[in-house]
Amino acid sequence: MPAAEPVAAAPRRWYRWRMRRRSTLLLAGTLPLSLARPLARPALAQPAARDTLTIGITQFPSTFHPNIEAMVAKSYVLGFCHRPLTAYDADWKLVPMSCEALPTLENGLAVREEAPGGKPGLRLTYRLREGLRWGDGTPVSSADLRFAWEAGRDSATGFGGAEFYRSAHALDVVDARTVTLHLDKVTFDFASMGDFVPLPAHIERARWEADRHGYRSRSAYETETANPGLWNGPFRVAEVQPGAGVTLERNPEWRGPEPAFRRIRIRTVENTAALEAQLLAGQVDMVAGELGLPLDQTLALQRRTGERFRFAFRSGLAYEHIDCNLDTPILADRRVRQALLHAADRARINERLFGGKQTIAQTSVNPLDGVFDEGVRRYPYDPARAAALLEEAGWRPGPDGLRRNAAGETLSLSLMTTAGNRTREAVQQVLQGMWRQVGVETRIRNEPPRVFFSETMSKRRFAGLAQYAWLSAPEGVPRSTLHSDEIPRAERNWSGQNYTGFRNAEMDALLEALPIELDRDRRTALWHRLQAIYAEELPALPLWFYADAHIWPQWLEGVRPTGHLNLSTLWAEQWRGR
Amino acid sequence: MARLIAARLAQMAVLLALLSFAAYMLIGLMPGDPVDLAIMADPRLTAADAARLRALHGLDQPLLARYGAWALAVLHGEFGFSRLYARPAAAVLWPALGSTLVLLAASLSLAILVGVGLGALAALRPRLAPFVEALALLGQAVPTFWLGMLLIILFAVDLGWLPAGGEADAPGLLAALRFLALPVATLAIANLAAYARHSAAALETALREPWIRSARARGASEEQVLWRHAAPNAAVPVLTIAALDAGALVSGALVTETVFARPGMGKLIYDAVMGNDYNLALLALLLTAAVTVLSGLAADLAQRALDPRLRDA
Amino acid sequence: MAFGAGRREGRRPSLPGSGAGPRPEPDAESPALSPRDATDAPIPADAPPRPARRPGNPRLLAGLLLLGGLAAGAALADAVAGLLGHDAFAPDLFSRFEPPSAAHPLGTDELGRDILLRLLYGARVSLAVGLATALAASVVGTLAGVVAAWRGGLVDALVMRLADALLALPALPLLVVLAAIDPARLGLPARGEGLGTAGADILRITLILALFGWVGVARLSRAAALSVLARDHIRAARALGATEARVLRRHVLPNILAPVAVATALAVGGAVLAESVLSFLGLGIQPPAPSWGNMLANAQELVFAAPLSALWPGLAILLTVTGCNLVADGLRRR
Repeated sequence: MPAAEPVAAAPRRWYRWRMRRRSTLLLAGTLPLSLARPLARPALAQPAARDTLTIGITQFPSTFHPNIEAMVAKSYVLGFCHRPLTAYDADWKLVPMSCEALPTLENGLAVREEAPGGKPGLRLTYRLREGLRWGDGTPVSSADLRFAWEAGRDSATGFGGAEFYRSAHALDVVDARTVTLHLDKVTFDFASMGDFVPLPAHIERARWEADRHGYRSRSAYETETANPGLWNGPFRVAEVQPGAGVTLERNPEWRGPEPAFRRIRIRTVENTAALEAQLLAGQVDMVAGELGLPLDQTLALQRRTGERFRFAFRSGLAYEHIDCNLDTPILADRRVRQALLHAADRARINERLFGGKQTIAQTSVNPLDGVFDEGVRRYPYDPARAAALLEEAGWRPGPDGLRRNAAGETLSLSLMTTAGNRTREAVQQVLQGMWRQVGVETRIRNEPPRVFFSETMSKRRFAGLAQYAWLSAPEGVPRSTLHSDEIPRAERNWSGQNYTGFRNAEMDALLEALPIELDRDRRTALWHRLQAIYAEELPALPLWFYADAHIWPQWLEGVRPTGHLNLSTLWAEQWRGR
Repeated sequence: MARLIAARLAQMAVLLALLSFAAYMLIGLMPGDPVDLAIMADPRLTAADAARLRALHGLDQPLLARYGAWALAVLHGEFGFSRLYARPAAAVLWPALGSTLVLLAASLSLAILVGVGLGALAALRPRLAPFVEALALLGQAVPTFWLGMLLIILFAVDLGWLPAGGEADAPGLLAALRFLALPVATLAIANLAAYARHSAAALETALREPWIRSARARGASEEQVLWRHAAPNAAVPVLTIAALDAGALVSGALVTETVFARPGMGKLIYDAVMGNDYNLALLALLLTAAVTVLSGLAADLAQRALDPRLRDA
Repeated sequence: MAFGAGRREGRRPSLPGSGAGPRPEPDAESPALSPRDATDAPIPADAPPRPARRPGNPRLLAGLLLLGGLAAGAALADAVAGLLGHDAFAPDLFSRFEPPSAAHPLGTDELGRDILLRLLYGARVSLAVGLATALAASVVGTLAGVVAAWRGGLVDALVMRLADALLALPALPLLVVLAAIDPARLGLPARGEGLGTAGADILRITLILALFGWVGVARLSRAAALSVLARDHIRAARALGATEARVLRRHVLPNILAPVAVATALAVGGAVLAESVLSFLGLGIQPPAPSWGNMLANAQELVFAAPLSALWPGLAILLTVTGCNLVADGLRRR
């Protein structure tokens, strides 16, 4: 529809035109028919020279400071522009990023020492890579790490997770590129520096010292996001369009492999149907799987568009499961939990709804994780076994097909999840049907995510089953979800995430032993035992690990999805256009 | 006139004060505080972190005390920082308001043009009146996001003529117009019904007035009668509705903004409310309420200017 | 001048024959509870007589037929389910997105459920929201308006100031806030306790929508009541010793019923639309209970893959709103 139709000049003619148009649009209903046409053809021609890559994501990174508020969209953008000391790569191995080598006890960069108070501690040495510079030419130096550590240690600064800074009790500057860090504990993943990243002291220190409480909103990351001196990755933030997107330019000071694109545009489209439309209209080149379209929507797109895009499905560490509140009398019986899992045909749900792309979970440990136990107990779909287990637990079929116990109570459970998540709601309704088949009634009672998480789950106010996902890191120890000390209680100000109320002395011991076991083989044995207990006790019913759906143009190569919180953009200099 | 304006401004001040209190309390009634939201996003935060962050953000204070502190700061012209965007609330607000005002101006103009055109058509050609009415009805009855999505599919995906959404990616009027076309059309279609109805009714009434008959008797052409004599009469209701629509659209285009991925006020308020961003949500709500009141006032003043009968009142 | 008085006086006489100012109808997307068209209904007493159109009032008839059809569909949902032999609530993963067939006249949705059946069950929820909201808004609005007109003075000033204030509020953002607050903190029944989940949702949405919806009706009925109360025969009746209750019951109420009925009819459609907007934002009726709003919101995500499943609920909403507008129009022209 030409927008510049000369309307005012010729009112009469225009009425008629308008009427005709509207009647075709709305009355004759031609629109839905036009949808049936194949969409395999690009709507807009691609520019010949590919110096720009436009990426669609579904969330806007509202803050840009690396240490304030975790948010996937921010991690995605920072991956292009700001490099951490260490990261887990696409093979889930810890690799050095802006440091030269990972400290190990063997290479002498990690040394056991006694921490203040007599606890066993560690001294770690990190040496920054040669030639690493901020976008304004200032070298990235020990002073930047020192500043980041000082800011993190000060509780007034308002960094998110402070656990690392509590443990890192001292940081010494050895030379311009080398620091030693003193930790007051010895854990197997000590070399991983996580969110401890260099911050540009030459810009940020003065701001921080002027007003530590207000640093969060005075930081140049928020006030001058496009300042090149804030960024040390292959790209730097050039422009922020609040709520709409971020434009990145190549960082001229980057000394690593030359990235293929001069400019990266990241566009935020929260509505996934609108994002799909922008992809089909050629306005975005790719959809980032980390913040992309739901799996079923992507599968439908793949069926319709044929060869136009490349699709990659990468299973990750988002563990979808159903928590059982173990204080509910019905669910306190392990046999009932096992029966529920036997009666849920997860393979069929995965096949029909998700094209078989999700990885069925046996426990909270992903099969791709090195410590996964192949021999862990599995629960194939087996309604007969489920029925037998329920009989054994005293639940017998009543006249209406629902099971009842000796006291005449019906086997009825509430099943909750986050309202507004279409995929979850669909799965939930399918599970409801499957459990009905074995005589178990489930009453669906969903809540908006913020009620669900910050009231119902965190205060354990759910009476039956609750479906949601946990995110974790490779070989992340599930202490906060399985240790009996982590059961949220009013006395402890509702801290902890053991929402199921799981108590198991052996599990507690394992969770305490695991982090401090540095020997890989012995640790693997502990992990296997943990999975065995989990699969036997089923504090939560494992469903699957989500597969992220990445959509790329045919001409883009080199993107390696990771499936965890260190996103694919940390290796963006390897992305290539064809 | 001056008394009217003064009264209306006083009314606005009272209203804004009440609204700020009510909105602050309502947001406080929403489950979960900003720190809960941060914990949802980052499971690594511990209970100690939560307590530390709560104290840092002043969330350990009672709601009333927080409101008092906020109101005091506002009276000193301090609107505070947006929690979500970590910059001054006003700095976050202005670009969104700009985007919304462009969308609003364009879609209201289009709705008025098309609506009044349809209304005039119905008044002049009674045979066509039922069709006009049917169109107006349909426009009013279609859910906006459905309409928007259909327009995107047809014009952006199938035909490839217009962008599917977002803000203009290149400078220039043409680019801006291309990006505006579909959201403007969506909003205009949804809003034009009232203009069609009211202008039709007003024109019909006006055309029966004695002075129109006398104008005809003097030999004025139909065109002249319509545009010179009847139209000013019909302008009154149209202006009134336009002023009210303008007030409502400042905050009410949330769905259109979502479907077309435009960062406007509706979206901003929604995100601020959902993200427990008190400073931003309050400032935006107050601003939109002020716009609503002021546009109502503007409508009244315009009516007085247009309709001599009201001037004496 | 009193707070807000100028506004009412200034605006009202401007609309042809109207008794009340138009209600802002934000962006048809945002809930139009008391659409402005209700308020410019000519009030019989002071409107110039319209030329008689066609006899028989085809608008009213068409609107009633349309709404009656939808209501009958909702009532017959169980019977249709029996006839087709499906369960509208049981997912069937082997028949997702089926095209229309004899077994599934409108095809199946993303979980393989019959769309026709879900539309019919959805009609129950959506029409319940629409009717309950419209009735609540009308009852409260009429009471407030009549009492304000009858008592006058302080009561009138208070009611109308409140109405003015509500009109000046940004409606959609506040609806969002209201829909998101935790009912338990207000002492209301939390989701899913006592009432069924769907019942609690309907109640919640009705309350929120009616909170804004009563204003238009109140202004309208106040204006109508004022004009009735000023008439000679009321004075005569009072002089003859009629009690105030009798005056209100016998003279005022019957005379304002017509405009209120028009407003109510329009409000039904407005509430159905409003529910779809709330569903789009994830704050509407929660599954598994179907409503047209949540069916539409669900389908829009898969609009490219299964365009037809978005078409039907959209059409149902459109027909309902059209039916309501036709009824309102018909009532107005009687």
